[in-house]
Amino acid sequence: MGTLELRDLDKVYRSRGKPPVHAVRSLNMNIEKGEIVALLGSSGCGKTSTLRMIAGFESVTAGSIALRGRRIDELPPARRKVAMAFEGYSLYPPLTVRQNIAFALKSQQLSRSEVSRRVDTVARLVEIDDILESFPRAISGGQQQRVSLARALVRYADLYLLDEPMGQLEPQLRAVLRGRIKNLLAEREMTAIFVTHDQTEASALADRIAVMEDGVLQQFASEKELKNRPANLFVASFIGEPPMNLLAADVARSDGGFGLSIGSDISFQMRGDALGHTAQKALGELSRVRVGIRPQKIAVGTGDARVRVVSNQWLGDQSHIAGECAGNLLIAVIPSRIAARPGDIVQFALEPRHLHIFGPDDACIHHAEVS
Amino acid sequence: MARLELKSVGKSFGAARPADGVSLTVEPGEIVVVFGPSGSGKTVLLRMIAGMFEPDEGEILVGGRSIVGAAPERRGIGMAFQNFALFPHMTARDNIASGLGARAAASDAAPRVEAISRLLKIEHVLGHAPRELSNGQKQRTALARALIGYPDVLLLDDPLRNVDAKLRYEMRLELPNLLRRGAAAVLYVTQDYREAMAIADRIAVLVDGRLEQVASAEQIYVTPASVAVARLFGDPSINLAEVTPFAEHGTLSAMVSGAKVRLGSADGHLPDCPCWLGVRPEDLVISVSASEDAIPAHILAVTPMHEKAVLLLRLSDGTEWLTALPPDAPHGAANDAVFVRFAPEAALLFDRATGLRIGLSHRRQAA
Amino acid sequence: MEHVSLAGRIFRGVALTLILVFFMFPIFWILLMSFQTNEQILRIPPRIYFEPTLANYEALISGQLRTAAGNLQISFMRNLFNSFVLSSAAVVLALLLGVPAAYAFARYKFRLGETIAFTLLSFRFAPPLLVLLPLSLYYQQLGLNDTYFGIVWVYQLIALPLILWIVRGYFEDMSPDIEHAYRLAGHSWREAFTRIAVPLAGPGIAAAGLLSFIFCWNNFVFALILASADKQPVTVGALAFVTASGIQYGQIAAAIVLSVMPTLLLALYAQRYLVEGLSLGAVKG
Repeated sequence: MGTLELRDLDKVYRSRGKPPVHAVRSLNMNIEKGEIVALLGSSGCGKTSTLRMIAGFESVTAGSIALRGRRIDELPPARRKVAMAFEGYSLYPPLTVRQNIAFALKSQQLSRSEVSRRVDTVARLVEIDDILESFPRAISGGQQQRVSLARALVRYADLYLLDEPMGQLEPQLRAVLRGRIKNLLAEREMTAIFVTHDQTEASALADRIAVMEDGVLQQFASEKELKNRPANLFVASFIGEPPMNLLAADVARSDGGFGLSIGSDISFQMRGDALGHTAQKALGELSRVRVGIRPQKIAVGTGDARVRVVSNQWLGDQSHIAGECAGNLLIAVIPSRIAARPGDIVQFALEPRHLHIFGPDDACIHHAEVS
Repeated sequence: MARLELKSVGKSFGAARPADGVSLTVEPGEIVVVFGPSGSGKTVLLRMIAGMFEPDEGEILVGGRSIVGAAPERRGIGMAFQNFALFPHMTARDNIASGLGARAAASDAAPRVEAISRLLKIEHVLGHAPRELSNGQKQRTALARALIGYPDVLLLDDPLRNVDAKLRYEMRLELPNLLRRGAAAVLYVTQDYREAMAIADRIAVLVDGRLEQVASAEQIYVTPASVAVARLFGDPSINLAEVTPFAEHGTLSAMVSGAKVRLGSADGHLPDCPCWLGVRPEDLVISVSASEDAIPAHILAVTPMHEKAVLLLRLSDGTEWLTALPPDAPHGAANDAVFVRFAPEAALLFDRATGLRIGLSHRRQAA
Repeated sequence: MEHVSLAGRIFRGVALTLILVFFMFPIFWILLMSFQTNEQILRIPPRIYFEPTLANYEALISGQLRTAAGNLQISFMRNLFNSFVLSSAAVVLALLLGVPAAYAFARYKFRLGETIAFTLLSFRFAPPLLVLLPLSLYYQQLGLNDTYFGIVWVYQLIALPLILWIVRGYFEDMSPDIEHAYRLAGHSWREAFTRIAVPLAGPGIAAAGLLSFIFCWNNFVFALILASADKQPVTVGALAFVTASGIQYGQIAAAIVLSVMPTLLLALYAQRYLVEGLSLGAVKG
């Protein structure tokens, strides 16, 4: 049994004169103690509704929420033992930064020295120790967000809910703060759920990521699992930067396996024993599938795919090379720089073992080998 | 085609000084990206060129002729805005056609609108009102409106800010070719260093209203002019440590958290001032075996990002550094003790008093 | 929002009904009165059932007021016409002056800008009686007394500040980038104003125009002092029903119904604009 259990959770918004909006559909999740979970999806996917239902700011249409074995979905927010950091910061303007953070500890009857010790510790962590005596209107957006984070982290709660906790942070601080917060959460064995639309943030902080779309949980797994074994086409194309290359391929039986051809320029031979039984059966019934390959898995300068370069962009630590081949745009990401200009022909190597294969219902038929 | 020149442009708003002696030349067909943190004066600079306000001092020239004081409609400028600034009461088609100005005849406009919208892949939404368009389509419409008149100067004010990540990536690939089409002088503002590196022929780094460095993406990344520039490029951003370098047996070394690290040969002039040592996260190497030049550290957290394993390390003196390792490289878990090394060529030195970079003899050169 | 209990719904219904009755009853009663004779109206207790008569309306339209003391000439239709002419002209003039002024106040920072804008607004604070005496003296000297133009001019005190401030808020709400974009495409500021700014502020302008029309229509004091019988609007003309032989309640009621009708119909027709216009934010791209 997990620390937090969401059981068949449903959320429907009804407003007069408009069709009802089914924001969350029979959501089931089990979150263990000490786990950090990201709710990841584009806007309107239901992630924020889910968070707000757990916090108690939104009623539950159907289903139940239990925290440490106790039903909380009927309790008012204050009695759920949940700490939350809001996207809009929502700091109290008449209080200083220190008072704002300490306010979260009011109900816990701590000694004054204990309060100031805990405020100082968390303030150092998010680097706001130099602005503790400032008022919210005098500090920047990034600083306000860090105060909001500090206000949530200073409490000892059964569950921490963070709504887009780092979206406004200064880019130079983001990576360090992610590391520190992850370290703090792990040290204190804090259970946390955070909402984000930024997959970099999700993969950096979370132990497991819940990918949501249209109110439906698409897959709930670790970042590695999402990348290596995406449940469907949506997850495959949503996770990964830049997104997975997806191509339509014709299926042909060949001795001992299958041939997949993309136009007349690229073709693959998939050996039967590499595919597994169910994949073979599925491919046998299909004439057309979609294949996916991650940009990081395409080698440049070798291989048989001849590609006309559309753009070659070097980003300091990696190069992104986009090329056109048989009407498809392929993107390769390599750690080094190459001297290709738009219009040049270069070779891309696409290996069969790196292919994901998706059937007509967008379900994954076959996953790439894990290197 | 005309070149855009800014000569010592300055502007104050009360105590704020969003532009301070900015000089910059953009050739026809060139894309210069103005990059800087928020509040550094990027947008003000663009708006002075567009004529929304005038500079307090300096000159702005297009094709050799000053445009200071000229009405915006006479400057030959096309512009795309961060908030799209589409006309809500007109269809996408009319929005785009309005970019041809008051002179264009309707019969002439139609084929040009068709052509540009095919290029931007919005021909299927031409009849829609802006509120019916997705953010991506809105930005493409706004771009089409800016591009259609073949302006001498093209200004883009963070055009991809309000577009979702996937579309932003796609646009990043397409934009350079699109923008070069009319051989306009292009000035492009962004807050995203990756966007800047991807799109720019040259990047102009603006910090507090001053240009810190104007150079190619390679030069800026490999040989940043100052510690401020170095910190702006790279995610995770560059690791810094306070050092005072010294020469020993012909090599330049420094003490970092108790370990003596080599920074290059000492045949050049020796910086005897307190310095910042900068090392990019991807240049750090992690191992479990100790050696004299390896900095002892322990791992605070493992945060995978951008297809890399990013480790937050605490060095023995309390400094926090980040490393970015290839995802399949072996790395430890949180709380492991490790040792950090980097090649001397990867080291950057900055004068701690001025922030400027100090040249090192073995520094690898930009391509 | 979505889960309202039965008790809540009943309470809401009852509260709404009470408010509705409170505000609608006078209008309903006036409507009934306008179809009754003076005797029927003054009956105690009053009755809902009566023999309806159109005599009041006939009297108003024909201009013949029959009282116990004899026949009286009234010019109610003339008053109605005056109200219409004066209010419309005042609003048109205020829009012509106020919309460009509002745009200038919203878009350009100039010396004394805020002071001028606030001075214009302060016209609404001052009680009209305060300015009436000097105004009527000026008007006599200028020859503006008892002219349509004079009254339309003084109505600007009512309409102009209203239009200026509502429409200014509207222009300020619009991103100036939209106009910049239009100008950069090669259009003059005049075109940007007429083709972009004014159409986008349309709902706001309509709402401000409508409101100031109603305020002008309802004005009493200015016209009472500055206009003679043939230029007077209905508000002043209604005084004629207080006759030597008593107050003609029936005709007053009919007159009220007729004079309320135009603004009521206008408000109903333009309700959409009013709601949009006063809630702002309708011009998001």
